Amino acid sequence: MTEPPEAPAATEQPDPGARTELPEGKGPERPSRVSSLVARTVEALPRSVNGRAVLAGVVVSALLVLAIVFGSRLLRDYDSALIPYAVASVFLAFGVAYRYTVWVSAPGARRLFTNGWRSFFSADNFRRAPTALPKMAATYLGFQKFLGARSHARWAAHQLIFWGCVLAALITFPLTWGWFTFTSGTGSGPGYEMRLWGVKILGFDSLSFVGWVMFHGLDLAAVLVIPGAAYFLWRRMKDRGAMTGQRFAYDMVPLLALIIISVTGLLLTFSSIFLHGGGYEFLAILHMVSVVFTLIYIPFGKFFHIVQRPAAVGMQLFKYTSRQGDEVFTCRRCEEPIDTGAYVENLRGTMRDLELGFDRWAEYCPRCKRVLRGNAYLSQVKKGFQ
Amino acid sequence: MMGRTIFIDPGRCIGCQACVSACRECDSHRGKSLIHLDYTDEGHSVASLPTVCMHCEDPVAPCAEVCPADAILVTADGVVQEADTTRCIGCANCVNACPFGVPKIDLQAKLQLKCNLCYDRTAYGLAPMCATVCPTGALFYGTVDELRAERPGVEVADTFVFGESEVRTGVAMVVPAERVQWPVPGGLPVVEVNGKDVRR
Repeated sequence: MTEPPEAPAATEQPDPGARTELPEGKGPERPSRVSSLVARTVEALPRSVNGRAVLAGVVVSALLVLAIVFGSRLLRDYDSALIPYAVASVFLAFGVAYRYTVWVSAPGARRLFTNGWRSFFSADNFRRAPTALPKMAATYLGFQKFLGARSHARWAAHQLIFWGCVLAALITFPLTWGWFTFTSGTGSGPGYEMRLWGVKILGFDSLSFVGWVMFHGLDLAAVLVIPGAAYFLWRRMKDRGAMTGQRFAYDMVPLLALIIISVTGLLLTFSSIFLHGGGYEFLAILHMVSVVFTLIYIPFGKFFHIVQRPAAVGMQLFKYTSRQGDEVFTCRRCEEPIDTGAYVENLRGTMRDLELGFDRWAEYCPRCKRVLRGNAYLSQVKKGFQ
Repeated sequence: MMGRTIFIDPGRCIGCQACVSACRECDSHRGKSLIHLDYTDEGHSVASLPTVCMHCEDPVAPCAEVCPADAILVTADGVVQEADTTRCIGCANCVNACPFGVPKIDLQAKLQLKCNLCYDRTAYGLAPMCATVCPTGALFYGTVDELRAERPGVEVADTFVFGESEVRTGVAMVVPAERVQWPVPGGLPVVEVNGKDVRR
């Protein structure tokens, strides 16, 4: 094996920001007053990605602290027993904002992020396809149709976990931030009132079915999550495809965390109903510790996909709306469709940002790339493949 | 480069498709074949080219670099893994950025699929499925020394040129001894399109 000859001296590279070979009339939009304001704001931000990420983390967590203080009516409605949960959620807000900023600063994510929002805010797109976004959000984020195409069992298990976690998050976060309060209008009940930011939104009889559901919402969430997470855990131990390259901290810990949180949560109810509160304090601490560690873990492990996935809707919207304009880009050799013109240009821009000097290659389909490489090998390296 | 890896010798490929069938049996992507076998000179000769993921080292995995979801992991042993199912959003950036035309995409499942060097096997020292079944040795798995022990005097190249850019890979190709000083042409610049000479 020998080293290849030295790379040629710096050659003239196309302007990284330049758009190339797009159909006429598809050039960049003229900068508006709004975009120049945005540009000035961006200029004022810290230059390093880390600096911007820390700033985003501080701002978001500070906003959450203010939301907790004002949402709990200056802490009047705040339940101090829930402080560890609230503190963990502030750390969660910092971590998510930090990681999100780092993530969308990378060329690939940044360009799709920008194009996704551009498609979202385009009045033209809205007029052409007003239902596109809600439909995508429902099928992609809610019902996760794409998971069904991977495996029906995985789809079913993921739906259980998803809806269980959504239900748990909708109850837990407002509760730990002091936004939800339950008050009894008639002394010891059974009439109860649920209040959000001090405003009554629901009145119910605590002994009715609605009352039972209200007080056992988190138990119901646990009942949804446990079978789903258990299926994935079983799969991680049995399915050889899933086991290939799996890592304990990345693949197993999230499932174990979900199961521990759910089981300890259910045990709290078990303790209060069947053990007259026996072991409740220990279980409460165990449950709290598992939740707090999971919340802090979210930005750094597999759970970050919860934050990333919604951004993928932007990518879908960008592709969908540019397809509406019939801008399908075909392979320069075989003329098979590759993707939309806007998408190919977006990818070429990403490749130029990354100084991958073969962005022109993106205009050929994968098969033609292989065939052209094979032809080059045949004609220039080993004639006749001898 | 270069420990145990795949060495591709298109000169030995007879286009039998055994690698394509064997790839389908790999545990990490059961039922889906991820190797490509292209007849590059169709209608004129029987020349065929098997393509596995080349596990690019410099620049490190362009597919992973363009991925907007950070879904493609490069493990410490230099293997570029297939997209993480949790993260992949099915945008196809990797499919169209790969200079070797390797990754595939399942648009329904919004999931990229690509050769991971049969990680379930190679992680334990076994040869990948394709190299295990190849009857002619067009796909050889081992070290350069092991290859040379079987084929004395053989030379390999791990650098490909696309226009003015070079890509150094973890998987290598067998080349004639006099060619080894030069990178293997990657097909860019394109010299013909549909039989027409497009050089200017």
